[in-house]
Amino acid sequence: MPEFNVRSDSVNVEHIMEQIRARIREKRGVDYTEEQIRELAAVKLEKFLDPRGVRSDLLEQFRKAMPAYEPPALPNYSFESDTLFESHRGIIRFFRKLFHPLLKLFLFNPNPLIRALNIQAQLNTMYAEREAQRESSRRAMDQLYYELIHNLVLELTRTGIEVKNLKMRVESLSSRLEFNERRARALESAVVYKPAEEERPSRPPTPVAAASPQPAPPPPPSQTPAPQAPHPQGGSPPEGPGQRSRRRRRRRGRRGGGPVAGQFGAPGAAPQSAAGTTDGSPDARPEAPSAFAASDPALAPPTAPDAPEDDGPDDDGAPDTGGDEPHGQ
Amino acid sequence: MKVAVVVQRYGTSINGGAELHARYIAERLARHGEVEVLTTCATDYVTWRNELPPGIEQVNGVSVRRFPVKHERDPRVFGRRQERVFAHRHSIGDELDWLDAEGPTAPALVDHITRHAGDYAFCLFFSYRYYHAFYGARAAADRAILVPTAERDATIGLSIFHPLFRSVRGVMYNSPEERTMIQAVSGNEAVAGVVVGVGSDVPNNPQPGRFRQKYNVRGPFAVYVGRIDENKGCKELFDFFEGYLQDPHGKLSLVLIGNSLLPIPQHPRIRHLGFLNDADKFDAMAAADLLFMPSYYESLSMVALEAWALGRPVLANGRCDVLKGQCIRSNAGLYYDNGQEFAETLKAIEQNRWLSGTLGRNGRQFFREHYDWPVIERKYLDMFERVRNAPAARAVEPLPGWLDRRRQDLPAAEEVLAKLPTGPVTGHRQPDGRRWA
Repeated sequence: MPEFNVRSDSVNVEHIMEQIRARIREKRGVDYTEEQIRELAAVKLEKFLDPRGVRSDLLEQFRKAMPAYEPPALPNYSFESDTLFESHRGIIRFFRKLFHPLLKLFLFNPNPLIRALNIQAQLNTMYAEREAQRESSRRAMDQLYYELIHNLVLELTRTGIEVKNLKMRVESLSSRLEFNERRARALESAVVYKPAEEERPSRPPTPVAAASPQPAPPPPPSQTPAPQAPHPQGGSPPEGPGQRSRRRRRRRGRRGGGPVAGQFGAPGAAPQSAAGTTDGSPDARPEAPSAFAASDPALAPPTAPDAPEDDGPDDDGAPDTGGDEPHGQ
Repeated sequence: MKVAVVVQRYGTSINGGAELHARYIAERLARHGEVEVLTTCATDYVTWRNELPPGIEQVNGVSVRRFPVKHERDPRVFGRRQERVFAHRHSIGDELDWLDAEGPTAPALVDHITRHAGDYAFCLFFSYRYYHAFYGARAAADRAILVPTAERDATIGLSIFHPLFRSVRGVMYNSPEERTMIQAVSGNEAVAGVVVGVGSDVPNNPQPGRFRQKYNVRGPFAVYVGRIDENKGCKELFDFFEGYLQDPHGKLSLVLIGNSLLPIPQHPRIRHLGFLNDADKFDAMAAADLLFMPSYYESLSMVALEAWALGRPVLANGRCDVLKGQCIRSNAGLYYDNGQEFAETLKAIEQNRWLSGTLGRNGRQFFREHYDWPVIERKYLDMFERVRNAPAARAVEPLPGWLDRRRQDLPAAEEVLAKLPTGPVTGHRQPDGRRWA
């Protein structure tokens, strides 16, 4: 199955892109673009969660723990040179200032006291401002942490969904793999336990030889030692080392071909060319069963019912679908 | 007919997009009349340092008159002024200061145009964003034809350029998207304009085999040609391609051609060949299965056109309106907006040879119809004829006075840009029935 359907002589890029995007959506399961995901992650929790529908008291907890910040009303720390003599009555203020020199002369000098208290007032103001600033920045940091946790929760949720999707994909792939293994085992057992020709009741000469327009060339003696020569009537040869893997390779080349019975030379199978070799291995034999011999695409007849996959462009102008590999892998 | 081509830099070794565009056009127009190039002594577009002697010289048979740049660009000053006009409310004076900082500040060039404008039938100004085009086009507005080479960046939102688009006699656009953007921002629909672009000297018989042998490149590959820079989308390309490399079915390698300003990922299927000459470049493109065009900002991708001329499909960044529009109008390339789309479109081109071949054929036809040199030359000559027969241009809008220049009432250029229409022009035909270029 092709990734998308393009069959006409002219292509429409927009249409192709729609098909590709549909396929991505299908694979992904969730129709979120990257931008949408980023947008979702950036949205604040208040906007994203509906408190009526979601049982999450995170927001409430946060609000309880962090009420809106209001800077406290600071006491009046100011202490200036004339604070000691302040009065709301003007006449008293006047007399206090008038007798200030007498106070300094006969009782005590209040100036050091005024200076010390003034410094203390400045220090108090400074510390109060600093504390307010620190509190404000702490709350800003808390807000940031809160947003960070919120984004982490979102990311974690998204990752969870992705993990779930991936698990499903793995399960799907495992089942396909299992199926393929069972199929492979079934095919192998069909070869190994195929009854020898002499065990069969009676059988006409091999259709391969009958249908082949040219007689099969004799195998070169160096490449086909006598003990390993194939049985001319299709009997099961003894298994040599590496033969299983060769069979697997042949099977790969043969995928998408005709029915299994036909490939293994059963009565009624389509005749196939016996001229090709499978993989160029030295012991590939011209007389090998036809299904194996046809696995080289270059040597397969154009009308062969089980023509192997071709990496080149299709002759009929149809798009190359990339063979019959399992779709979406 | 004598035509002046006014451009910020000029020379055979200068490969900037607009400069190469100007050189190609000058050399082609020289076959139809007398052409003189007016340019600066600079070769470096970052500093505008005077590196070539002032005066007249011949470059490929075209007379080139160079003028010195008054002062080099100070990156700190330029950055500060750019930040001011792009991101904050500002005044016309701020924009003029930005233009002066950007350069190439060549008052001698503008003086020459002012004094000798009458000697030229037409003055072609390349790249609206530079000093020479702004002041030069104002000095010779009655015969100025602008080739803006405008990209979708904040510069287009600066208000000093909007009267410029309205006051010239004609505008040679590179793409329908560029035309839409400029008309939206400046309202210059009354000015004669045509979508032209530029051609390319693509060889008829490239030698892909020779390239593979010379650089020992085997197997199918995709090619990127150009400066390897984050601004060109190469970092994103690397990320996406590394994602593609995880796919066991993907067989393509990536071949990079051009000078690199980025570290190249170390992978056996990613090869960087550096800067190649034109012959090797075209051979490489002919040998490639497709061309990547990952840039976010393009006014016209010459490399994409060259790939199409060679019958190769293009995979472009869909966030660039111009590239996306070109892919859609030509039906010769696919585009991506994210990593998944990149992987899927790449797989489609790689695995579906019929599709790949059809895209390539469409590209070749698109190039022949719109970007072959005879077509380009014809469009320029038609524009000259059209301007010659049109009534005289309206007066240039004067620059505001001292007080108005200091009025901080202009919005940030980025805000202006954000309000402009986006997206590719997807109609296959223009309002007058002709196909888009």
